[in-house]
Amino acid sequence: MKRLINSLVFIAVIAAGTSVAAQQSGNLRVVFQGPGGHSSGAYGRVSALHAAARAFILMQKALPAGSYVITNLTGGNSVNSIASDGLIELRLTAGSAAAYKELVAAVTKAAAEGAAAENAFRGVKAGDLTAGAPATVRSIVTPF
Amino acid sequence: MVIKGSYSSRADAQHYKGQYPKVLVEGHIDVVNPETLPKSGDPSIRIKLQPYSQPVVATPEELAAIPVELSFDARGRVIENDNYATASRIFASAKEAEAGGGVRIYVPGDGDMMSSTANAFILAAAMKKQTIRPVYDIWICGTAGEEGKGNLAGMKQLYGFDQKAGTGSNPLNFVANFGLEGGGVVNFLGSYRFEMKFKAPSPRADGPSAAAAMAAAIAMIADVKTPSELRPGAPRTTYTVGRASCEPPPAANAGVPSCSLEVDMRSPRKETLDEIRSTIEPMFQAGVSAENARHGRKDGSTEAISLELMWYGLRPAFIAESVDNVAVHTGLQSGIQLGVVNSPMVGTGSGSLNDNVPANTGVPTYQFTLASSAAGAGGHAFWEWGTRGAPATEVARMHRVLTAALIVSGFHAADGTIVPPAIGPIGVRTREVVR
Repeated sequence: MKRLINSLVFIAVIAAGTSVAAQQSGNLRVVFQGPGGHSSGAYGRVSALHAAARAFILMQKALPAGSYVITNLTGGNSVNSIASDGLIELRLTAGSAAAYKELVAAVTKAAAEGAAAENAFRGVKAGDLTAGAPATVRSIVTPF
Repeated sequence: MVIKGSYSSRADAQHYKGQYPKVLVEGHIDVVNPETLPKSGDPSIRIKLQPYSQPVVATPEELAAIPVELSFDARGRVIENDNYATASRIFASAKEAEAGGGVRIYVPGDGDMMSSTANAFILAAAMKKQTIRPVYDIWICGTAGEEGKGNLAGMKQLYGFDQKAGTGSNPLNFVANFGLEGGGVVNFLGSYRFEMKFKAPSPRADGPSAAAAMAAAIAMIADVKTPSELRPGAPRTTYTVGRASCEPPPAANAGVPSCSLEVDMRSPRKETLDEIRSTIEPMFQAGVSAENARHGRKDGSTEAISLELMWYGLRPAFIAESVDNVAVHTGLQSGIQLGVVNSPMVGTGSGSLNDNVPANTGVPTYQFTLASSAAGAGGHAFWEWGTRGAPATEVARMHRVLTAALIVSGFHAADGTIVPPAIGPIGVRTREVVR
């Protein structure tokens, strides 16, 4: 599973890298994936939606005012399920391609830190499994 | 499905406002995944089959990529092809399934409580076929709306439960209840659920953001520790922000008009349930206030984010002061008779089930599952799967339910004798029916 996560990160970096080379604005989709589960029976598992919200706050702190607009925050499939998915969509604007690339890097860092904070709060680490599935929240950033 | 009893034909039969006594055997099927319904032209959820030799899927995309699936005809009935035969194979355990070529069947709702409720109707058909005749009517019901915003809707309807009053009138006059989810729970978790809407009156990209206000609230909630996490020995208390979504911006340069979230909180006692509520509920407004302050806006001012309560869910809590009732007695005795229960004791734990409603209404209730999956996991998530278990186990469980229900309802034995009901003909209620 660690290899899978590393692969996802690698893909994310490649995808973001190729798209930002020649532009000063664009849209990013930040996906969080976790194990989900019943809100009571599986209580204690990480929430992909909680991780997304943590990342959202970190993005606000990391990105300069006026450089971004967050256009979506969504996740989960019912009130009594721990969310197995979370999604942030945002629009970035930068004065140069290099600056844009820095914004993408900041978003990617905040996404990873938001996931890490949720994993730390619930005491799980990469490689841990719950009922055979990855126990951690993972993040991936892609342009769209 | 009604297994008609003989009671109502008696000259001295009693009723509650026209309703003769009934024993309820109830199961539910609820799916909370996927979040959106399949396309109208292709409404079937794909039911994927995966060998045990492969790892459990980690993403919805991996699930969608599994090539082997069940097929359905135009009427929605399963086509009994080779894949159906593979999925129908039974195993005693996950280990045997793995060794014997078993498959994971990825299907939403399998464990909650598709397999148990399906077997309830197999039991009902068997009772009809064998002309089993109770004294009180036995109702075998499948309900919907247990999960999520359903808010126990099917069960609340059966028991005339009024959400605002928090009481059930039991208009159908059930005298005892058997639920087909869980097992042997006599205490029931209460829960509060909230759907909150964060609204931006004039959504500007550079103004206060509904999404940011909601994110601030969720981020605060995510750090909450429950009474049981803070104080060893406190009743187990849980919460989660289960769902969130936002309206798309109306134009390229506009902000998000509104976002909404749904929170679930549970505890077996009202005191700890109220404690977690008192911690979390102010965080909705705190998120709003934080976002307004970030943009120098006062709460309630023009362009400030505002908050609206969209939905409030309630599962009534119930702590049994006594377990001396027919549902518990017959539930335990039927288990002892069939060798699956060794002690006439009930657990001290709590569940959160449709049974919250009859218990809170005062109707005796007990539960047992009719399912017998060899293995399964991923309940309430996109990767929910199960593998069929042994039919002999299912039949034994049906035998137990049948035994318990007939002891309560009374029955006509094959030799012509009548075993009388174990409870009187007027059910309990916490509010009278007004007709």
